[in-house]
Amino acid sequence: MSMLNKTGETQHEKRGARYLLGMMSRKAWIWAYIAAGATYIATLMVVSSSGGAGALLYAAFTFASFAVIVGVGQMFVVTLGPGNVDLSIPASMTLAATLSLKFMATDGALVVPGLAIAIGVGLGCGLFNFSLIMLLRIPPIIATLSSSFLFQSLAIWSNRGLRIKPPEVLADFSTGGTFGIPNAAWVALLVSVLAWCVLEKAIAGRWILATGQNKRAARLGGVPVNAVRFGVYVSCAVLAGVAGFMLASFSGGANLNMGTEYMLMSIAVVVIGGSSIAGGNSNVPGIWAAALFMFLIVSMLNSYGLGAGVRLMLTGLIIVSVVVLASKRGRRV
Amino acid sequence: MKLKSMLLGAVAGTFVLVSGQAMADTSEKKIALSNNYAGNSWRQAMLESWGKVAYMAIEDGHVAAADAFTTSENQATEQAAQIQNMILQGYDAIVVNAASPTAINGAVKEACDAGITVVSFDGIVTEPCAWRIAVDFKQMGRDQVKYLAERYPEGGNLLEIRGLAGVFVDDEISAGIHEEVANTDFKIVGSVHGDWAQDVAQKAVAGILPSLPEIKAVVTQGGDGYGAAQAFAAADRPTPTIVMGNRRDELDWWKEQKDENGYETTSLSIAPGVSTLAFWVAQQVLDGNEVPKDLTVPFLRVDQDTLEEILAETPVGSVANVEYSLDDAKSLIESAK
Repeated sequence: MSMLNKTGETQHEKRGARYLLGMMSRKAWIWAYIAAGATYIATLMVVSSSGGAGALLYAAFTFASFAVIVGVGQMFVVTLGPGNVDLSIPASMTLAATLSLKFMATDGALVVPGLAIAIGVGLGCGLFNFSLIMLLRIPPIIATLSSSFLFQSLAIWSNRGLRIKPPEVLADFSTGGTFGIPNAAWVALLVSVLAWCVLEKAIAGRWILATGQNKRAARLGGVPVNAVRFGVYVSCAVLAGVAGFMLASFSGGANLNMGTEYMLMSIAVVVIGGSSIAGGNSNVPGIWAAALFMFLIVSMLNSYGLGAGVRLMLTGLIIVSVVVLASKRGRRV
Repeated sequence: MKLKSMLLGAVAGTFVLVSGQAMADTSEKKIALSNNYAGNSWRQAMLESWGKVAYMAIEDGHVAAADAFTTSENQATEQAAQIQNMILQGYDAIVVNAASPTAINGAVKEACDAGITVVSFDGIVTEPCAWRIAVDFKQMGRDQVKYLAERYPEGGNLLEIRGLAGVFVDDEISAGIHEEVANTDFKIVGSVHGDWAQDVAQKAVAGILPSLPEIKAVVTQGGDGYGAAQAFAAADRPTPTIVMGNRRDELDWWKEQKDENGYETTSLSIAPGVSTLAFWVAQQVLDGNEVPKDLTVPFLRVDQDTLEEILAETPVGSVANVEYSLDDAKSLIESAK
């Protein structure tokens, strides 16, 4: 009896462990959270001032927000399966920010139409991308790369690189906070909750996953594959437009090179966040962890006073290890 | 008949000679600008200055053409191909802002061998046959610390904002800063890379601030001062003396602070109009003047007293600029001899 009990217990424990592992495997994003938490704690070791811990977290949430907004868009695109990636995100951000800030011309009354312009530009960029991919049958990587030259040139042509300040109210909003959380983070949170609902609760999310897992099977199964791709590319560009608008308002104007770092960043947060780069499997919470991690790791290495060479090398190494860990757990044999 | 045509030729020859003396000898010459990058406000102002001065120069009959070409990808291979095209197109001089100091040397050599004058500026090339209008970036770093040492003889903590990691300019400015800091009581307590962009600098500074003690001053490389100021304000920390880089938003912020609380700082950078200096140097070489191969660009500096004046001349969203004239180029050449 006691023997039986014991084996039962160990079996139960084993099952518990397996359950935990199973949960881990379903939630690859746990590793990104662990990594973000570890870097945060490591940075705190050298934080001297009192209140520094809060300030660091506040800054992390502020800057992670922009990466989250573009990351969510990129995640949907990547989910569509191998070869799907939007490389025009930086250019779409720049174009949307440049045109909307030029239109508002620091006039606080024009914030709403300004935002509409940013979204409209995003829509336009997305439509253009999709028409290249769909109508001209150009592979997405090449299509979005070439359209990004076009968007960037339009941005240069429209304003010649002049940096126009955002309206006062908009600048105050994007740099401010509500209930102790940066407003930029609230926006990113709203975007991610919406994205999560679409992905997990709506039929559209199932369609996206099905398309990413096997396009042919999805089409045969009655999924409107082209409509799904259309929606995904357009919403990715719209999110890029919104992120550009927010970032320009936050940092005091649109720069021609403001989007540059979001090219790699948008892909990095998707991969580190535990979404499958091969598509067909994605998650929203991981994007947040990865975005926080990407900010904190630079802060940590800066705070430890490491040189640029060491810093870039360590950043690369740490990212690789997180991705390896996350994908190991995520692989089902 | 033969005699007649010879006579005619001689007459025409003297006529050309006489008219050549009246106008510049370079009036038939064509100059091209090979530019590697156009994606920021400094480069845009640089191209604009070139366009303005080139237009005037053509109007005044100094040169026949002065076309600007920019590569799309900031790649040395692309620029090398571009220069080869320019050789085929028959330009007499090529002014280059190079993607790499060494990688387009081959193309530059080909141009020289074809009898074309090559003048590099800002992004210079090491090929000996080309002229170089270089920036003394180390001096730019030293000057910042010198200014701060005058203001704060007692020293203090410095935060250094660097440019793009791995780029020659970034290493040079930083080396200048560190050399000069060694002679003072200042201590660099933190260093971040701001990539010469306000938003990147803001992000990097916000990330390192919690771990830093009180900061007396911030040394920068240009295009990052406003972002640093924003980060300090967001963290509710006292604003240090931030050395600026002549961008309009930086100068605007400085003016605001100056009016509000008498904030003092300095600002220095290279005027984008340096492209026009290179233009005139190329013209001088074509003109047959003896020009030393290595010239140094003067800094454009904004001080507490000149702030308002320069601010008034700087277009909104752009960079403080100055366009150089033929006389400026001549005096620069004279001083280098």
